[in-house]
This record gives sequence, structure tokens and C-alpha cells, in this order.
Amino acid sequence: MLEIKNLHVAVDGKEILKGLSLTIGAGEVHAIMGPNGSGKSTLSYVLAGRAGYDITQGSILYKGEDLAALAPEQRAAKGVFLAMQYPVEIPGVTTMTFLKTALNSQRRARGESDLDAVGVLKLVRAKAKTLNVSEEMLKRALNVGFSGGEKKRLEILQMAIFEPKLAILDETDSGLDIDALRLVAEGVNALRDPSRAMLVITHYQRLLDYIVPDRIHVLAKGRIVAEGGKELALELEAKGYEHIVKEPA
Amino acid sequence: MSIAAETKQQVAEIGEKYKYGFVTDIEMERAPKGLSEDTVRYISAKKGEPDWMLEWRLGAFKRWQAMTEPKWARVHYPQIDYQNAYYYAAPKNTPKKQSLDEVDPKLLETYKKLGIPLHEQMALAGVAVDAVFDSVSVATTFKEKLNEAGVIFCPISEAIRDYPDLVKQYLGSVVPVTDNFFATLNAAVFSDGTFVYVPKGVRCPMELSTYFRINASETGQFERTLIIADEGSYVSYLEGCTAPKRDENQLHAAVVELVALDDAEIKYSTVQNWYPGDENGLGGIFNFVTKRGDCRGKKSKISWTQVETGSAITWKYPSCILRGEGSVGEFYSIAIANHYQQADTGTKMIHLGANTKSRIISKGISAGKAQNTYRGLVSVYGKAKNARNYTQCDSLLIGGDCGAHTVPYIESRNKSARIEHEATTSKIAEDQLFYCLARGIPQDEAVSLIVNGFCREVLQQLPMEFAVEAQKLVGISLEGSVG
Amino acid sequence: MTLALNLDRKAEAAAVVHSHGVPHRRIEEWKYSDLKSALGEKGLGAVTAGWLVGNLPSGVEMFDLAQPDPPPWVMDHFARPTQNVMRAASLVLSAGGVALRVPAGAQIADVLKLDFTGPGHVRGLLVLEGGAALTLVEGVGQKNIETDFRNVGFEIVLGEGASLEHVRISPADGQAVLVEAASVHLAARAHYRAHFAGFGSKLSRMELDIALEGEGAEAHLSGVAVLDAHAHSDVTTHVIHRVGNTNSTQLFKHVASGSARAVYQGKVTVAKGADGSDSNQSAKALLLGDAAEADLKPELEIFADDVKCAHGAAVGDLDAESLFYLRARGIPEGQARGLLLQAFLEDAVAEIGHTDLRERVAAELLTALKAVA
Repeated sequence: MLEIKNLHVAVDGKEILKGLSLTIGAGEVHAIMGPNGSGKSTLSYVLAGRAGYDITQGSILYKGEDLAALAPEQRAAKGVFLAMQYPVEIPGVTTMTFLKTALNSQRRARGESDLDAVGVLKLVRAKAKTLNVSEEMLKRALNVGFSGGEKKRLEILQMAIFEPKLAILDETDSGLDIDALRLVAEGVNALRDPSRAMLVITHYQRLLDYIVPDRIHVLAKGRIVAEGGKELALELEAKGYEHIVKEPA
Repeated sequence: MSIAAETKQQVAEIGEKYKYGFVTDIEMERAPKGLSEDTVRYISAKKGEPDWMLEWRLGAFKRWQAMTEPKWARVHYPQIDYQNAYYYAAPKNTPKKQSLDEVDPKLLETYKKLGIPLHEQMALAGVAVDAVFDSVSVATTFKEKLNEAGVIFCPISEAIRDYPDLVKQYLGSVVPVTDNFFATLNAAVFSDGTFVYVPKGVRCPMELSTYFRINASETGQFERTLIIADEGSYVSYLEGCTAPKRDENQLHAAVVELVALDDAEIKYSTVQNWYPGDENGLGGIFNFVTKRGDCRGKKSKISWTQVETGSAITWKYPSCILRGEGSVGEFYSIAIANHYQQADTGTKMIHLGANTKSRIISKGISAGKAQNTYRGLVSVYGKAKNARNYTQCDSLLIGGDCGAHTVPYIESRNKSARIEHEATTSKIAEDQLFYCLARGIPQDEAVSLIVNGFCREVLQQLPMEFAVEAQKLVGISLEGSVG
Repeated sequence: MTLALNLDRKAEAAAVVHSHGVPHRRIEEWKYSDLKSALGEKGLGAVTAGWLVGNLPSGVEMFDLAQPDPPPWVMDHFARPTQNVMRAASLVLSAGGVALRVPAGAQIADVLKLDFTGPGHVRGLLVLEGGAALTLVEGVGQKNIETDFRNVGFEIVLGEGASLEHVRISPADGQAVLVEAASVHLAARAHYRAHFAGFGSKLSRMELDIALEGEGAEAHLSGVAVLDAHAHSDVTTHVIHRVGNTNSTQLFKHVASGSARAVYQGKVTVAKGADGSDSNQSAKALLLGDAAEADLKPELEIFADDVKCAHGAAVGDLDAESLFYLRARGIPEGQARGLLLQAFLEDAVAEIGHTDLRERVAAELLTALKAVA
């Protein structure tokens, strides 16, 4: 599904990722853990195609296709979804309008026909229920005045609606209390599917208690420095990053 | 003792009188009254200037005669009779002094009354003081240390003689001779001022400071300051002003030019507490100042901080021309107008280069029957890609007979530029005042406390020794404004 | 015109026009809109422009200012003395116009559609007596024909507790120079709500002088502009809080692409003793074109101390973060930009109280945005 080879990424001329390699197959859930400043968010942004993140070396293949050649909206239409650490507030655009526009844009790009307003409403309502996203939230401007938990729930709701093939969750646990975290994690788990790959990016092991990964990769100073099964998270929790980062990769 | 308590005590000590309202009795040497080509020649001759300087002055005078006083500012004052003033005054017996001991003791006494005992001040604060008494510099110290660093810090009259190439290259290059009525007048008749040159890569080893003081009756004061920070250098310059009490209005038209080359930084701080006139609006200084900094070099920075509490009329817009790529301009201002004072002050940030940034923080306080105007321009030119400006402009009103006005001009011609401007006007919060009173803080002290809080962001920009004086001034200048 | 009263006022106005001349950029108020150069040699001219009332709702009285023997309500309110040069010019240089009156207490449900047409100068007068209510719309009637220059002098008088919603749509009008100088006087508890949607022309300027003259009077101004190519749109307002406990708000959003120029100048004055005045001004512009320009001058002039006044102004580009967010969710760039532009303008459009008019403005904006996004 996703094959990253020797990826080097620079931001403002400063190299952040320095030769990262990673492969995720369909149906797998991988976690990237790492200390602050290790390049976790850079990885998520470069996968989603944010401007200003320059690939200086290496490649990203998504379903065998060069991801870097695609605009952000093309990636989204092809099934790449990034749940952002800080979802953007957009005053003046209601959440419902946004969802409808995004959904139909993706459908159109794939050559599918638009869903009409009633169809979208039905779909959104059905999915919103399970994530405890209220009608009232959908009427408000996108993320404006939403609490941290509401913003994250809305990100997962979008994931449920768009049904991506590759979902990247960037620090989805940040700013959530334990109840909100459980709700979000349940939403994510419900979307685990043999045809879907997920990349969960987190600083803490906590989230991985709820979303149990198949593989864990430890990112430090722009490189993967350790890899292992879910037990690696516990080791990290016990010994800290320092310990692992110091060992030669 | 808290600042506020100290202020209170100080106010009590000086009573209702303006603190610096006294006149030193030193024999003055004056140019004949009035302004003509002869006056200009007289001044130039007195300063022993070379011909090129005289020509420069005469050229300015010719242009000035054809110019008219600007009328756009919100200040009203009686017509100034330029022929009924003296344009040059110098204490008579002041040949070059080798040390402070040779300085007229009366002059030193004057400084003492001003609360700036020169010896102590220099020793304690490590500040070199180029003291300007009326129009002639009488004492320049700490030259040795500056010499070691290669920093030139001297009266501009000396610089004209000793560093003609530097002066020729930079004088009038930021504020052109014909920039405006008052700047042109200054170019014709400036008496003296300060010159600073900081060589490449040098961080000036001390804060440079000059105390200006107007003393002679009916004498316009025309200072000229030129500061050049060569590549990679840094200098912080402090300007403080006090003036004695006079009934006649006194004209002051200074020009300050700053030039910052690549990676250089100039920090220019002013505390201006000249005689503001009395409670009935009688007397006070007319202060028409042109201050401008040119961020000529890449990543250069010029920062203006001003605390304006004095003068009957203030007309002053310290500005930055952000020419160099990535250069930064800042303007931090507190303007307090009480009684019949009129202040029209602000800044211009001219973004010419790419990635230039500017920041404007202005705090205006109006009390009594005063009028206080912030007037500012942020202009982004077509080539100023990614230019950024942030402006915060707050006015505080104390009493119902004063005025607070805000006139910002925002012009953008580059789509990648971002300009943000916010302004508020409100009265001093009664609940805050009451809270202070209920906690036993006297009225004036409470006002001082609240206003100091309102101005905090700007006060923080001042060098330590200035910040304390400025905080006191805030309290003193608003004495009796509530009640 | 045969209004006897007018002779004196015309003479006064003539003196104002004479002393000011045709406004140009060296005059502070016209710094960003050089009328003199836009008009060129033709100058102000002395032609009388036309007017058209699309429908006259029952209960509204109308009088043609070109006719003799005006009724007393016209005599009472027409041609107040002014220092405004364009309003003075419209009085001196025209011989006609329209006067409208809504009698005390009349609540007019139908929208009054008023259009000024053709080239030249023309006057308008609208009087809402105490407790009357009306919705007035300008610019939705017939498209202008062959108009190189038009100057409208409009006077609006709102009696105690009267309520007017005024919507003006200025369609894109290529080479026309269009000036409208309106004055609005509000008595106690009167409400004036105005919205100006501008699509630009060679030079388009809306001037508004609003005087809050009675306690409880309120003025709420909003506007949007979407400008393309060489369009120029200028909104210049002056709100005076003459007495206390008055309230004014302003919200203007401008989008300039190509080499268009969007100007907003807004001055709020709080007179001495007008304690308890509240005023809020917000003006924002987005530049989309490499040669586009935005000029903002939000001005406060405060002579009373118990006031709450604030203004904010901002110029910039579309927020890159938001744009990325939308694209990352699959919305193509052009559409995402359009959505953000719509969102940018949204709160100003939402200020329009009348549903049909709000929707009409929103629809026109959508069309205009397609051309610039």
C-alpha cells in the first residue's frame, strides 16, 4: 500500500527527515513513535502534500504510484487521509457544507456521480451518531469554537465518511481526556479493514492501548531507529526514548 | 518603595510646580534675532564649518523660504513668527574642555537639579554622556572606551570637521534636505547634535546617551543627529530631554537620521518631558521633530521607543524605511497629553524589501483638556513579498474634556503581505480605580498604577535606567487628572 | 427647480463646490480615489441624471423634484447645508431627482426599488417619519445605459424610532465613474442598517455621512466588494455620535484581483458629552492579483471619555493553512479558494436582514468570485 524509501525532506532548506524508509501493507496498522522534533509531523505533512515540505531524496510509492507527483486533493481522492493534529478553523464555512463539498469533490475526481444533499445528509447523520457528533456541531462553522475533543471527533467522522485506503492519524490523542480518547479510538478501530492501511503517529504509548498496532517504528532525528511489535511501545514507556535513540539503529 | 509610592513622594516634593522649571543664569552668546541668509552664515561661521557645509545649509534655507508649514496634523498653535526668534545661542565662555572639572560649575549645578549628576550617572550606569547645553556640546566623556572599540560618538559639529566623508555620505540621505518644512529649517540652521558611527561587526560597549536641554529664552533648538551602524554592528542610543520653565513658546525642530547596514541593529529610545506649558495652556515647547531610520541593509533592524510626556505641541513620527531584504522596524510609543497639551505622533513603516517585518505598539493617554492623536502609515510596496506588519494602538481617556484620535493608513500592494491593525479607545476603568482605592491606594497613585499597567508593553522595551524614570514620569504627568 | 428655498442653499452649495473644485488625490478625503483624473477634461458637467422607482409600495409618497410646489415635508428636509463637495455638486449641477416619504408609523412590507440612471447629477430624498419602517434597494433595476459619470446626492432622514434597511448593489460597470454621497440623520431610537455590495467600475465611490442625533439611535453598516481587472471601489464613511447611548458597527470585506483597487475609509467621531457611545469597525481586504491594491483607513475621533470604541483592519492573502486543509480533504484548489473567499465575505453578507436581498447579494458574489478565484 505505502512504500517509503530513503526519504529526505527539507523545510525552509533545513533537512528534517534524513533517510526514512517504511513499508505498510493493506490491512495493517503501523505506529510511528518518537520524541518531539523527531520529524513525525513532517512525515504526515509530506504524505498529505503540504507545500513547503520538499523531498530532496528518496521516494514515496502509494499503491505503486509516485505520491509526490500528486496535488493534495488528488491524493485525497485516491484515498489518502490525514487526520491533523491541529484541525484548522474555517469561519464562514459550515461543517455540513464542507463535508458535502469534500465528499463530492473526491467522488467527482474518481469519476463517480455527486451525492445529492439528501444522500449526503443521510450518510453524515448515520456516521455522526456513532461518534457522538451532534446536528448542532454540523451546523456550526468548521471547527470554529469546537473543543479539542470535538475537533478530533470530527476528523474521525471525516475518515468514516471518506473511507480512505491510507489513513494517517497525527497525534490524534493530543489534548484529549480519557473518555474522549476512548471514543476516538473506538471510531478508528471500527474502521480497521483488510483493505485499509493506517499509520498512527504519537508521542505517547497511551493511544496504542486503544489502537493496537501491528508494527511500531521509532523515529528520531529524521530516521527510523528502532522497529518492533506492539511490545516495543511498553518498552519505550518504561525506559524512555533516550535509551532507544542512543542505540545504533 | 514601590514605583507608585516613589512617584507620589516625588510629586509631593515638587509641589504643583513643573519639576524642571528653573533657568540657569549663564551669559549667553546669541546670533542676532531673526532668520536670513546671514543667520545661516553666522551659525556656520561660529561652528567653523567647511564651505560644503555652508553651501548645504544655504541650499536648504533657499528651499525653506518657498515652503509652507504643514497643516494636516491635529495641533493648533498661534502663528510662529520665525523672524522673532534667535537661531543660535551658546554659553559664552566655553572653549574646549579637557575634563569635566573645567566645565562651568553653574552648568554642572543645572544638571544636578535635573537629577542627572553627570559624574555619578556616568560612573554608576556606565553611560557615556554627550551633554548638549543649548547649542554647544560642553562635555563628552567615555571617549576612550569608545575609541578602543572604534565607535565614533561626538558632537556633529566635530564630525563635520573630523569625518567629512562619513558626514557627506550620510547626512540628508535618510531625511532629505527638502523632506518637510521643519526638517528643511533644521538643515539650514541646526546648531549641533550628535554623530555616531559604529564600525563593522562592533557591538557598542555601552548605551550612548545625550541629555538635551533648552535654556535660553526664545531660542529655537535645532538638533541634528546622525547614527550609522555599519554591517553587523549594534548600538543602543538613549535620548532624554528636560527644559526649564518659560512663558514664551519655544520652537524645537530636530532631525534624527539612522542608517543600518547589513545585519546591523539600532535601538533608539527617547524620554521626552520638556516643559508642557502650565495648567492653563500657557507656554510650553513646540516640538516638531523628524525622525527616520533607514534599514538599508539586509536583515537590519531599527527599533524606536518613545515616552512622550512633555511639550505643548508634539509633532513627531519616528519612521522606518524597510529597504533591506528581511529588515525589521519597530515602534513602541507612550504618549501622554494632559492639561492643554496637543500630541500628534505615530510612525511610518515603509515596506520596500521582501520579507520585511514591522511592529507598532502605541499607547496614548489623554487627560485634562488635551488632544492626543496617533497617526500612522503602514505601506507595502509591490516588491515587498511576504511583508508583515502588526499594529496595536490603544487610547485611554481620563476625563470628559480631552480627545483621543486614531488615524491609521494601511496600504498594501503585494498579495503575499499581511497587515493586521487593532485599535481600542476606552476610559480609565472605574472598577479598577475603585478596587485600588478600596485597597487603600490613593487616587493619583492608583491612576499611575493603572496607566503604567496600560503602558507595560512599551515600558518593557526601554533600557533599565530609562524605564524607572519613565514610570515615574507617567505618574507625574497625570497628577491630579482624576478627581 | 422651483423650490424658492433652494436658491439660498444652492448658492451655499455653489460656494462649497467652487472652493473645493473637483476632488483629487491631494485632498485628504480623496487620497485613494482621484476623481479629477478619472473624469479628465470633461469635469463634473451639469447634466441632470434620471431616476426610476421600480415599484412604489402603497403607503409611500413620492414627489418629483423637478416639479413645482413641493409639499412641506420636502421643504423641511431637502438640501440641508453641507460641506461635502459631491453632495453640494449634485445640488448645484442638477435640476431633478426624487423625494420619498413614509408617514409616521407606516410599516412598509414591500421593498422599495430605486434606481438612478444615466449620466449627470441627481438628488434623492427619503424621509421616514417617526416609527415608520422601510426596506430600500438600489441597483437591482434596469442596467445603466451609456453612463460615463453619475453623481447622486442622497439625503435620508429617520424620525424617532424609524427603521430603514438600505441595500445598494453596484454592478460591475466598466468605464463608468459613479459617485454617491449620502447623508443619514437619525433621531432617537431610529435604526439604519445598510449594506453596500460593489463590483467596481473605473471609479466607484460610496460616501456616507451618518449622524446619530438622538439617544438609542443605531447604525449598522456592512459591505462587500469583489473586484477584477482595473476596477476601483471606494467606501468612505463618517459616523458621528452626536449624543450618548448610541451605537454603530461597520463590517467591510473586500476582495481585489487583477490590478483592482479596494478602498475603505471609515471615520467614527464621538462628540463631547456623547457618553455611552459604542462603536466597532472592522475592515478586511484580500488581495488576489499581483497588481491589486487595498487601502484601509479606519479612523477614530473621540471627544468623550465614557466610550467603547474599537477598530480592526487587516490585509492579506487566503490563509495557506485553511487552503491545505480543504485540499487534503479532496477539494480542488480552485474550488477551495472559492469556498474560502465565500467564507471570508460571509459574515458581511449575513448582516443583510432582508432574506431575499441577502440571497440575491450572495448569488451575485458567487458569480463574481468565479471570475476571480
